[in-house]
Amino acid sequence: MTSFAEILLAVLLLTDLSLLVSSRLLHCIRLVALQGVVIGVFPLTVWNWSQGTPSPQVFLIAVLSLFAKAILLPKMLRRSMYKAKVRRELEPLVGYSKSLVIFLAVTAVAFCFCGKYLVLPEETPVLCAPVAIITIFSGLFVIIARKKALTQAIGFLVFENGITAFGMGMMLEYGIVVELGILLDVFVLVFVMGISIFNINRAFSNIDVDEMHLLNDDDAHQGGEK
Amino acid sequence: MITLLLVALPLLAAAICFFCKNSQKGPGFLLASVAILELVLAGICFELPEGSPWLTVCPKWLGFDILNGVVLLVTALLFLCVSLHTLRWMPAEIQYGEEGETTKFSNFCACLLAFLGTMMLVILAQNLGLLWVAVEATTLVSAPLIIFHRGSRSVEAMWKYLLICSVGIGFALFGTMLLAVASRETGAGLDLAGLMEQVALIHPGWYKAAFVFVLVGYGTKMGLAPFHTWLPDAHSEAPGVVSALLSGALLNCSFLGIIRVATLAPEGAVPFVSHALIALGLVSLAVAAFFIAGQRDFKRMLAYSSVEHMGLLALFLGTGCLHWGFCHLVGHSLLKMTLFLLAGNFLLACGTRQIPRLGGLLKSMPRTSFLWMIAVLMVCGMPPSPLFFTELQLFLNVDLWLGITVAVLLFAVFAGMTYAVHRMVMGEPGTAAPTQEKAAVAEKLWVVPLVVVVASIFFGSVMIFCFMEGGR
Repeated sequence: MTSFAEILLAVLLLTDLSLLVSSRLLHCIRLVALQGVVIGVFPLTVWNWSQGTPSPQVFLIAVLSLFAKAILLPKMLRRSMYKAKVRRELEPLVGYSKSLVIFLAVTAVAFCFCGKYLVLPEETPVLCAPVAIITIFSGLFVIIARKKALTQAIGFLVFENGITAFGMGMMLEYGIVVELGILLDVFVLVFVMGISIFNINRAFSNIDVDEMHLLNDDDAHQGGEK
Repeated sequence: MITLLLVALPLLAAAICFFCKNSQKGPGFLLASVAILELVLAGICFELPEGSPWLTVCPKWLGFDILNGVVLLVTALLFLCVSLHTLRWMPAEIQYGEEGETTKFSNFCACLLAFLGTMMLVILAQNLGLLWVAVEATTLVSAPLIIFHRGSRSVEAMWKYLLICSVGIGFALFGTMLLAVASRETGAGLDLAGLMEQVALIHPGWYKAAFVFVLVGYGTKMGLAPFHTWLPDAHSEAPGVVSALLSGALLNCSFLGIIRVATLAPEGAVPFVSHALIALGLVSLAVAAFFIAGQRDFKRMLAYSSVEHMGLLALFLGTGCLHWGFCHLVGHSLLKMTLFLLAGNFLLACGTRQIPRLGGLLKSMPRTSFLWMIAVLMVCGMPPSPLFFTELQLFLNVDLWLGITVAVLLFAVFAGMTYAVHRMVMGEPGTAAPTQEKAAVAEKLWVVPLVVVVASIFFGSVMIFCFMEGGR
């Protein structure tokens, strides 16, 4: 089943790419949902099926992350999008064509680096390490280069998907308690972010984070003047 | 059993608080009683012999050991002080504090208790994965505490806190996974006890990569420069009692995460680990010294002082004097908590955090100002502060160049902080002089700070006397 895992990783890579160049938030949310599906199915595909069926724990994790990352979280993000009345990311800090160039450069670097320097165990998919690193980078890039708080939440989800993909691809075992804990944390975090986006919208009358410059060490703004 | 109780009790109480009616009495009683119980339980942990059946209920996940004992006790003690102060402070804040919508008291208590529960989980966790889950959970439950006063500034502070800390801790998760790759041959997974036994089998190359990510991740949460950017904002916008907990207890918990991973360093990676820690420690000290000089907001000043002390803790760990580091941690937590509580009193009375608008507070608020002066001097390392003693030990134990650099930076911090305090408490009253009524209310909140200041003077004097007798 390794080849199927590689296909999924390729899908992950393509979603990263289209996430960086799409300005419509609804489209971004759909892409994140697609990534959620990939991440949910992924542990079943890296499993070595000739050794027998995986334990019920693996199925449980797969089903739960599918449910959380592909259905619940995108739904929540969509709700806060409608509540905050934003549709598009119109003026990103880094333009879309520039983002594309940066993404391609990072992809090249990641593949070269992982091919040359990382010595990985035999059974892990070849694409796993580079694609995970690229996904982590894309998430960070979205957080840095886009203005809307909602896009930053999406970026965080992508970032976390990359980390999870790395862990799953390496077939690391750290026990069901930890895996469920991580899933729960991410879920609650995006939930809290959704609520705060509503608060930001109320306090700043939009959700552009570059308007958040009330707090700094500059003389003029200091001291809690209200 | 006890370890499980330490985690479960506050979480349970938080759930009860969340569903209970919004009154002052019920949640307040619950808060205080849980705080007392936790301190008692933490004390019992020290009394029990090692391997007692009371301590070993799921030893794979939770446990009490040499490293976390001190942090456990300090956190429980700090929470008790803060919760007692909260009970007196809250009514005053609601009546006289800043106007506008605030969080309900029952929800505030619920978040405080949940915060304690998750911190206990961080401290007691014996599995690096569980440790990560718990550290992330502390961010989630403390974020609502920052927006006690709803306003654009506090929302901004909370968003920065959530996003920067979560991304930072995300790096720590990546680091934890790399550590699992590094320790593949040990077969212990992320279990701390198992890893400790087979440190030699950990792959040094993968370990170094893992340590870098863990250091960046938990370092963000701990407030090490240059990842500290959320800290001054969150600490200055949160109410005084919350800043006290964030600074006194939460930063230590993340430091414990770094210690846990640093102690796993295999032979070949030890110099790398200590150099990385020393570099970050020095950067933190320098950044703090730079921003404290001429700081115009007294809560931001305290926040940068926390950055400074976290840098010192990193230096203690990096130079291998961790036992002094723990003394430093205790002293800093107690004093910084006092300072934030006193800062909360000033804010309550004057309604501003701008130092230039204050002045002559020694006349209008003598008790608070007096304690404030003593606590600032002590946090800067004036004898008989315990911090003087630990900083002296650091100076004596490291290379000369490092010692002198640290001493110069500490002096810069001292100069900056005492100048600010001088402007606040001496001279003529500023434009934001407190009204008599508000000053009287704020002056009543002196008990907890006084007790802690006296206790730290005592603690520091004992340390110095012991040192003088043992050293001669």
